[in-house]
Amino acid sequence: MLIDGLSFTRAYLGHGVGLRQKHFTRWLSEKPAVDWVEVISENFFARGGRPLAVLEKVRADLPVVMHGVSLSIGSTDPLNAGYLADLKQLAARFQPAWISDHLCWGSHGSRYGHDLWPLPYTVEALNHVVDRVRAVQDILRRQILLENVSSYISFKESTMTEWEFLGEVARRADCGILLDINNIFVSAHNHGFDPYEYLKAVPADRVGQFHLAGHSDKGTHLLDTHDAPVPEAVWELFRSAVRRFGRVSTLVEWDDRIPELDELLAESGKAALLEREELGAQAARVVA
Amino acid sequence: MTLAETQAAFFSLVTDPEQIETRPELGLFDERLRIYANMYLWRLVDGLRNDFPKLAAVVGDDDFSALMSQYLRQHPSEHPDVGQVGRHLVSFLRQNRDPTRREDLADLAELEQARSEVFLEADRRPIDGSAISELGAAFPQARLRLVPALQLRRFEYHVAPVWRSIDDEQAPPAPLAQPNEVAIWRKEFAVYHVVLAAEEAEALRRALSGARLEQVCAAFADQDSPAQAAFAALSSWFVEGWVAALEIDPG
Repeated sequence: MLIDGLSFTRAYLGHGVGLRQKHFTRWLSEKPAVDWVEVISENFFARGGRPLAVLEKVRADLPVVMHGVSLSIGSTDPLNAGYLADLKQLAARFQPAWISDHLCWGSHGSRYGHDLWPLPYTVEALNHVVDRVRAVQDILRRQILLENVSSYISFKESTMTEWEFLGEVARRADCGILLDINNIFVSAHNHGFDPYEYLKAVPADRVGQFHLAGHSDKGTHLLDTHDAPVPEAVWELFRSAVRRFGRVSTLVEWDDRIPELDELLAESGKAALLEREELGAQAARVVA
Repeated sequence: MTLAETQAAFFSLVTDPEQIETRPELGLFDERLRIYANMYLWRLVDGLRNDFPKLAAVVGDDDFSALMSQYLRQHPSEHPDVGQVGRHLVSFLRQNRDPTRREDLADLAELEQARSEVFLEADRRPIDGSAISELGAAFPQARLRLVPALQLRRFEYHVAPVWRSIDDEQAPPAPLAQPNEVAIWRKEFAVYHVVLAAEEAEALRRALSGARLEQVCAAFADQDSPAQAAFAALSSWFVEGWVAALEIDPG
């Protein structure tokens, strides 16, 4: 059962970047020009030390969003109660604008792969994920957002498209969608579907956040590497997403070969600029 | 296949990629499964390399990957935090000593692990040494409450010089079998370690176990100037931020 009164509402935070260890010194000493910050939840489950001190300082200045990688919402393992307790405790302390994770699975037999493995898009998987999202939302007492992942294989058992599956999960579980524009582009290339068709089919009233990132062309496939600037083709898809969904809180991810903070902020600034170009002056940054 | 069967087959193939070719009956054969298989190993080995950079530097990149692959076969990740994947590495290295590798690898890994634990340990503001002079006659019965971000570890090999040589980008010295005890602590956000003299290690062990100050100071009884030695050690503990409180038993 969902919590009474739970309904999806979309808060617009503006344009954010990920809080990464490489930039901790800057975050401790100044307030970089960005609207909000996303943290990898699991990186802050510690009892103390520098990461939490940095997050305390950042949270005092800016809205924070918690983004997890280990919820494993699609796994047939039981939900990890200890993990959810840690997540809830962190959320209670830092009051994130929202909590997100991925529409995937990453554990089996109590063993973690620390990866975002794709699901077969079947009715069985849909029912399973919907039940678990509801359970998680009951435990956390708040809605979560689920992100579409990049994938390299598909399952012959699938009876629906990824976007149909994503939309149905969000509708039936009453959760939000973190729409990763780069992941749509990567998966579209790898599986041969039209990324613009994907965008058109996603329920607009469920989209609470965008992710943007870079990827690598491996010849036989695109790999979601988060180690480079956002490619032009992904920016184009982002423009289309802005036209379709309007103002949506947007974050540039960069997790490997992380550049200096100023370069990351410039990528975030570019997202703000493109959004403004598509929507006009009403889409100016939340924080000037 | 049910969802559970699909996930079992996928997990089996990704974590043991030799099956991708040898067990097509699992029904998931796809050359692109190797992407997931490669990422599985790469991600975990990379996580271990981040957590044990000195160990990686000493054994070299190729051997580190081989060693960690062996480790992961015995100890796959069982925790949602990838930072926990190395928590059995020290015991693995102790139980799987390889004569072709340095003998001090387990101790070096233990020092790295202890430093990581201390780095993320709970915060507790230390007090300064003036508190001890205010104890007066209560001094012998008082107890030190030490900060959580402080550990005492006993090693079979002398790994502190190995650590320093890697920091200095020098070739590490040969392993030296010499039992020693090392204090590892965090001051502000920086982590430090130091090899302690035997009597100071004993005093610290007593303090960590909650002994009274007279018992802590008795660890220096065999020194030429026991009171002076105890005073010097306790003073340094305050300077390094090891002491969170002084407690006096009621009554």
